[in-house]
Amino acid sequence: MNSDRRVFVTGLGAVTAIGRNLSEFWQNLIAGVCGIRPVSLFDASAYRTQTAAEVRDIPDGFLSEAQRRRMSRADRMGLAAAAEAIAAAGLDLSREDPTRVGVILGGGTSGLLDSEEFYERHLRGRKARPSKVLNHLPDSITDRVAQHWGLGGIKSTITTACSSSANAMGYAFDAIVSGLADVVITGGSDVLARLTYGGFNALRSVDPDPCRPFDRERRGLSIGEAAGILVFEEAEHARRRGAPAPVEFRGYGVTSDAFHMTAPDPSGVAGGRSVRAALASARIDAEKVDYVNAHGTATPQNDSAETAALKAALGNRAREIPVSSIKSMIGHCLCASGAIEAVATAMTIHEQTVPPTIHYEHPDPACDLDYVPNQARDARVRVALSNSFAFGGNSTVVVFGRV
Amino acid sequence: MAHRGVITGTGAVCPLGRSSEEFYRRLLAGESAIRPMTTQERGTLQATHVARCDGFSPQPEIPPMKARRLDRGSQFALVACSQAIAEAGYDVSADPEAIGIAIGTGSAGAGALTEFLRVLLTESPEAAPPFHFPNTVANAPASQVSIELKLYGPNITVTQKDPSALNALLFAALSIASKRARAMIAGGVDEWNPVYALGFDRVSALRGEKRSSGIVQGEGAFALLLEQEEAARARGARPLARLSGIAVAGVPTEPYRFAPDPQAMKRAVSGALADAGVAPGQVGLWFPSRDGVEEMDAAELEAMRAVFGSPPAEILVKQAIGEMAAAGGGQLVAACRALADQDGPFGGAPGPRRALVNSFGAGGNFLAAVLEEVPREAAS
Repeated sequence: MNSDRRVFVTGLGAVTAIGRNLSEFWQNLIAGVCGIRPVSLFDASAYRTQTAAEVRDIPDGFLSEAQRRRMSRADRMGLAAAAEAIAAAGLDLSREDPTRVGVILGGGTSGLLDSEEFYERHLRGRKARPSKVLNHLPDSITDRVAQHWGLGGIKSTITTACSSSANAMGYAFDAIVSGLADVVITGGSDVLARLTYGGFNALRSVDPDPCRPFDRERRGLSIGEAAGILVFEEAEHARRRGAPAPVEFRGYGVTSDAFHMTAPDPSGVAGGRSVRAALASARIDAEKVDYVNAHGTATPQNDSAETAALKAALGNRAREIPVSSIKSMIGHCLCASGAIEAVATAMTIHEQTVPPTIHYEHPDPACDLDYVPNQARDARVRVALSNSFAFGGNSTVVVFGRV
Repeated sequence: MAHRGVITGTGAVCPLGRSSEEFYRRLLAGESAIRPMTTQERGTLQATHVARCDGFSPQPEIPPMKARRLDRGSQFALVACSQAIAEAGYDVSADPEAIGIAIGTGSAGAGALTEFLRVLLTESPEAAPPFHFPNTVANAPASQVSIELKLYGPNITVTQKDPSALNALLFAALSIASKRARAMIAGGVDEWNPVYALGFDRVSALRGEKRSSGIVQGEGAFALLLEQEEAARARGARPLARLSGIAVAGVPTEPYRFAPDPQAMKRAVSGALADAGVAPGQVGLWFPSRDGVEEMDAAELEAMRAVFGSPPAEILVKQAIGEMAAAGGGQLVAACRALADQDGPFGGAPGPRRALVNSFGAGGNFLAAVLEEVPREAAS
């Protein structure tokens, strides 16, 4: 592969429970604002728990009423975050060769909330409207982003559950480095649905209170929803048009735990492989890592296994650097978690400020790193990792660096 | 042009056979597994036909106790992938980190998803069976294969309409080019599901009583073992074929609409030929995307005539096994077998033999790949 092609991040967009755009999201992250609240999208009274980090306001005013009617919430959130990222990149896509601009997103729930309604009506023997299933497949958002901006390059949707959008960024990186594309709109958008809410509750993996990553008393995750979009651009392409490019996507590692469908390898050996693969891809030594944006779901198993993985892969460096989980504020955004956490990681490098892990009270001997408890911190961050671990043992680590 | 890797093994679990050899033999014999739906399958659909892996048994590859933990799609995938590894004679345990998997799918997890939701929606959230939830994710088959075969390398699932399997092959090729892996299982898997069929029927995608244009749904799994060429040679493997070119083209459109755009299809086909560094006249066999969606089929023919004048001889796969996100995997498997078949569809034409695989789907997603034979001396 043509290794002299590098990938700069020229635009970011975010729609989350704690902010409808990048600056609101970042301000609230740094302030330690919690977006985990009572569920309002459906009646949650019959579930074991009733809280989630919902997006209450989607800034989709640029879409017509007719466009919005055809779209799922995930589509509208994804388009809103993409519009913000493309504008921030200063990209006039009408001036680009459309065949050289791709869209590679991570997806999963997509229009599931609507198709659940279709299915429920069908199960009750009632007529169900076909428009309710039009956006069921996770690739809908990818096609819609390409449609909205008239893009004719590669389109792909990665569906590896909670590591989907991290892998999408990896695929976007490979697509640019290999010369398949010059610009790729990447990241993901994923929303709350009864399937996922019921599923994690059925597994007894949801904390009835806002989640407490790395805390000894942690009792599970909080489900969230978000759209995080990043504009990846070949470095020369970005330089030629004078694009803002403070952050580089340096590489990624994707590995399989080959351990268990839902449980992480407690020894950290499997997770450590993923971190090492990422560092090898980025050609960076463990000593150069300044920050880790953790997967940090707040399930008892994940947080101790992830801690072990970081110690296995980074050695002593793991104890010297900040490691935080923003899921304590925006919940676990499932297939969009890798994307929104990547946005936060890029901002950490840009702002030289590390977001905190909130709700942290009780140190756990099995989680003995510096989790940036409750208060954001200024820090020199030149290289940062973001971890995403998924059902199926799909483990992905992405690497960002300061340009 | 850098070689994209060689294919050293194939596997298939599909309506036309439970191995790639059986599938290929029956395909060449002109058989089709498309059959009328049973009354139960049909329910209230206007669609009339389907192609399914009737009578599929996960044994002998998957012992009964293990099979009980795997849903239908994961069983298909594990059998097909095991066959590909076995045919290639590949020893995973020699370096588990060097081998990964990339699978394309449109429906993996559908059975678990609809069953979990049925209980959640009609009884109560508390009654929903936790056992099903981990299998509702689309990456369940690829992950189960990784767990069972102990693959530590990249593990990816792609969903991008009909050409999902070719998209997975592209990811696999990039993984090898970037040295993330030396070998990748690439392919596709789909399971037929009555609720998904209802959805596709209601949005006018299926051919049937009320519509003459549309697809017949299939199911199954296909796997190729793609290896870095030097590594395959070093271990003395005998490649079936070489992936020499692959290209992708997109059309901006609504996700569920067809975009019968011959220009974009031509871009995918010409791109694959250019990537392979070959002229149209050097391609002797064509595996069309043709699946019964009339305007798409007409556009493909127009694009092929624009590139080739007179298109090469064709082998129709979807008319034998139906259409699905994994169908491109079936075309790829058939192409590999044809390229390695001394007495097959290429006849005695002078080499090197080359085949074109087109995979064009709804939402304006088009991929094309060129595969070629690996002459004996080059492989030794």
